Amino acid sequence: MSEWERVLWKKQAYADNYIPPSFLSSLRRNANVHPYTYAPLVLASCAIIQHISAVFILLSAFVHLHTMALDPRLLVWVSILCFLLGYTAWELTQARTNTSTEMRWWRAKAFKSSILVFLALLALSPVLKTLTEATSSDSIWALSAFLLGLNVLLADYSSSFDRTTTKLTSVLSMNAGISASVVLASRLSSNLSVFALILFAVQLLALLPILRKYLNTSPLRILISTALLITASGVLIMPISSALAFVQGGILAFIGLACPAVLVWAQKYKNEIKGSWDPAVPQLR
Amino acid sequence: MATKSLNIAMVCDFFHPVAGGVENHIFMLASNLIRRGHKVIIITHSHPSTRHGIRWMIPGIKVYHIPFKTLVSSATLPNFLTFLPYLRPILLRERIDLVHGHASLSSLAHEGILHSHLLGARTVFTDHSLFGFDDATGILTNKLLEAALRNVDAVICVSNTGRENTVLRASLHPSIAHVIPNAVIAEQFRPSPTLLDTTTINIVVVSRLAYRKGVDLLVATAPRICSLFPNVNFIVGGDGPKLVELLQMREKHMLQDRITLLGPIRHKDVREVLIEGSIFLNTSLTEAFCIGILEAACAGLYVVSTRVGGVPEVLPEDMISFAEPEEDDVVRALSDAISHVSRGNHDPHKAHERVRGMYDWAHVAERTEVVYRGVLDSEPRELWDRIKRTASLGIFAGPIFMIILVVDCYFFMFLEWLMPREDLHYVEQEWDTRRFTDICRDELQEQQA
Repeated sequence: MSEWERVLWKKQAYADNYIPPSFLSSLRRNANVHPYTYAPLVLASCAIIQHISAVFILLSAFVHLHTMALDPRLLVWVSILCFLLGYTAWELTQARTNTSTEMRWWRAKAFKSSILVFLALLALSPVLKTLTEATSSDSIWALSAFLLGLNVLLADYSSSFDRTTTKLTSVLSMNAGISASVVLASRLSSNLSVFALILFAVQLLALLPILRKYLNTSPLRILISTALLITASGVLIMPISSALAFVQGGILAFIGLACPAVLVWAQKYKNEIKGSWDPAVPQLR
Repeated sequence: MATKSLNIAMVCDFFHPVAGGVENHIFMLASNLIRRGHKVIIITHSHPSTRHGIRWMIPGIKVYHIPFKTLVSSATLPNFLTFLPYLRPILLRERIDLVHGHASLSSLAHEGILHSHLLGARTVFTDHSLFGFDDATGILTNKLLEAALRNVDAVICVSNTGRENTVLRASLHPSIAHVIPNAVIAEQFRPSPTLLDTTTINIVVVSRLAYRKGVDLLVATAPRICSLFPNVNFIVGGDGPKLVELLQMREKHMLQDRITLLGPIRHKDVREVLIEGSIFLNTSLTEAFCIGILEAACAGLYVVSTRVGGVPEVLPEDMISFAEPEEDDVVRALSDAISHVSRGNHDPHKAHERVRGMYDWAHVAERTEVVYRGVLDSEPRELWDRIKRTASLGIFAGPIFMIILVVDCYFFMFLEWLMPREDLHYVEQEWDTRRFTDICRDELQEQQA
């Protein structure tokens, strides 16, 4: 009896349900799976912790402004200080990668737009203060909670550098965050408070995510920046409610320590099946 | 017992008047089974305003159109129980021995297999396509398929690759999965009687112009081939979402006189298109069998194809050139094929005769009948065994499908009480092909006289 061949055009002396020795020989299991290890996952989840801490910092700043415990002038100065610090960090990370003429152009652009945002916010703050006067506070809390949830959900936590393509979701995330801070600010009592909160929100929700990518390049930097943000949020939340601070600590520990452990544990169920039946990916030049 | 003719019901969402590979397969298999002396009925859904109720098709296939709404691309919504009130009287009055479901995206086929054991009919299922394990379609439908095929008696796949795929998707024992390929009607794909001149070579592409058919590769390679070989032209038949990209490519490279786009073509006109050329190009990215290259080879064309799915099993090495699904390799394979054909090394008539000897629907029907006989000779599963097997599907799917199976049994008992078997109108007189032929012959003679 001649040997079985994997062809259909030949009439073979084997039954149609003959199981050849080569059956399923093209099957590949977990061929291109790189198992995750715990430490890199913890480092990768630091970006999420940083973002959530920033949201908590913004919320506690709002509460302190709302209860008049914080002078809005102080917050404006803090914002300006943060901006200068952040800008210096940005300059330091950029110095190596770009040419001097490009940098000059970038600097002029950044200076112009920061002055513009500053003045526009200052001019608009009376309008924003009365923006939602006719709406009840309960609706505002619900709306801002929803928008901040959206902001956290859609933010770009990746660590890849690709300046040419901005993901649509990260733009949506930023918009949701700024909208949340605008509706929250409209509950505040003075024009200066409104201005201070929105300025602070722009720093935390629009500029910090851009800077975050360039800061999170080495494990040490990630840990230092994460620790700073967690401490800042803890210090600001503690006076409001110690229970809330514990809840925040619990959430951050769950995301940073427990979730990576669950992912590492769940990998033993990974079963990726590849074979000759998979659609090919065309390779074009 | 071995010579007793069988009563077979083919169940599938995809059937005439819609045109396609599965539809054609069912029709050809049914007509060849009838030729072998069996009775075949087809159960499909209705096509509003044109096809309802019962229709007859030559040569004596009775088609039942069930009034079900279609969801997308001619598939009905999975509803599990509501098919039973239709299926039960049909299987009883036609005295069906065996239900043969087709196509894994056809919920009618799945439900036919689910209900058949209640009426004592055995089940066979044919899978026509390949599915991955990591895309949305695969994740959603593979569990449904596994549940439907949990208690099936035999499975037929169209290629060895398809068999491996189905065995994995539905967690089957490989011994119940059979490989029976498609076939081609050689008479419908005769090569051109006149010899084509070898100074200009036409490359023919006939395919649905969609991503899965690898149109991107065609768009990338056609201009390169045109600039490499001034005597080579392309003829592209078919319609689809990627037609626009072909049009743009033709415009961009000013190839309007070199690349002919024919648009949609009917299956009966395919031969006319094929015999215009001497090389057939298939750039599919996934394919269980690929009837297109078989038809082209039968019409005497030399075939160039991507090496994907079941394609390498279809034709012997000297009738086809393979390329990896990469732009450079397709150009390489096409260049080789062009020099092979222009040297006159490919004889269309010899190729036609070889394909004629390889693939034949009568042979497919014969092999399918062997599967049917094997199933009917085997012992059917007990209900308790079915329930246990269904429960072992998984912690979530198991209980769900077990409940469906048990409720189905109660629903069947209710139907037995509501519409007793004795009150049904049984089919007393079967279609007699010989008598039909005699009557036709008499008519013809009368007309001529």
